[in-house]
Amino acid sequence: MTGAAGEVEQRSVGSTDGRQIALVDLLDRLLGTGVVLAGDVVISLAGVDLVQVKLHALITSIREDMVQPR
Amino acid sequence: MSESPRIFPQRLETDAESVERDLFKLVLTVIELVRQLMEKQALRRVDEGDLTDEQIEGLGTGLMHLEQAMEDLKSRYDLTAADLNIDLGPLGPLLSE
Amino acid sequence: MTETGRYLYAIARGLDPQAMTGVPALGGGHLDVVEHLGLAAVVSSVDLDEYGEEGLRRNLENLSWLEEVARGHDTVVQAVAEQSPTAPLRLATICHDDDGVRARLEEWHDALEEVLDRIEGRREWSVKVFARPRPAPAAAESTAGGASAGGAAYLQRKKAESQAREADESSAAAIADEVHHSLAGRSVAGRRLPPQDPRLTGRTDRMLHNGAYLVPAEEGDAFAAVVEELRAAHPDVTIESAGPWPPYSFATLEQS
Repeated sequence: MTGAAGEVEQRSVGSTDGRQIALVDLLDRLLGTGVVLAGDVVISLAGVDLVQVKLHALITSIREDMVQPR
Repeated sequence: MSESPRIFPQRLETDAESVERDLFKLVLTVIELVRQLMEKQALRRVDEGDLTDEQIEGLGTGLMHLEQAMEDLKSRYDLTAADLNIDLGPLGPLLSE
Repeated sequence: MTETGRYLYAIARGLDPQAMTGVPALGGGHLDVVEHLGLAAVVSSVDLDEYGEEGLRRNLENLSWLEEVARGHDTVVQAVAEQSPTAPLRLATICHDDDGVRARLEEWHDALEEVLDRIEGRREWSVKVFARPRPAPAAAESTAGGASAGGAAYLQRKKAESQAREADESSAAAIADEVHHSLAGRSVAGRRLPPQDPRLTGRTDRMLHNGAYLVPAEEGDAFAAVVEELRAAHPDVTIESAGPWPPYSFATLEQS
């Protein structure tokens, strides 16, 4: 699985010592609502995106069924 | 700019060889979700106190076997609990533990 | 020739434009200072292909673009903040030209004066609280161990595990509250920011609190000492602090 975000934190691109702000902290403050990583899964084969699985709807329907009182 | 940027890091990059494993992972994740919901529901029913001892025993044994079956399936494909936890972004991770 | 716009980094009071020479601007440009009504906007020219509405929509979803721009933006903000009281702007505030910049300064004038008064001589400190990772019970182990004990015992065990998790969560929340109130009491202002996505932080331990505190520059050491005290008082969590930073979290204007 290719993930873009994880490694970014370690790259150190800053000039002033002690003033180096972690990227995630910077983005929180510089963007109105912070960074949201979308949760949908895209399934691709050989570089071609085939299926975008929207899991939100699936989970909602299962949960409703499961908590029906007898 | 009122909407937060959305980044899609979750790409199941499959090729002919890993197709089976990756899709299996997706399927197992959904099964694991159902299993956890079933356990939560069972605990709720036990708390409500309207089950007989036999029913409780049967429920517990069934769930125990289900948990064991999940462990077997996971180890067959060398998957950990963390592997199965698909992140739903703003909704948080799929599985609660 | 592609269209350009003016990218706004920060607005300061009493800024000497000469002090900005040599500070790198985004896209390899140079910084300019646009002054109006006693305020100074630090700007540079940027390509609207990249920073216009279309371009931004595309680029804001690209984490490496975001990283580069956030870093470049912060470099300028920190350089300005070293010189004068500075209100940092959020990412990607673009005006068509210097007249547009002046119009913004006029529109925001009163709010800006208020912000600058609030942050003058003060710095931001970040304090985060993380739960200590709980060793997860190996399901295979607990199942095998309980195989002979039966179904009812299995359910009891699951219930106990679930209750232990809930107890952990409420005590964690209580600690986060206490840390925040202690620190807010020792600073000019405190804010709770949303917890950060573990995929961005690379941390596996759960973030219980993400706080930002506005502290007078000369009280930085005293603040750090309070954080140390809290650390000693709560060995069951991890408390991390960073700073002093420009007061990003306390300088935002309501319009965006």
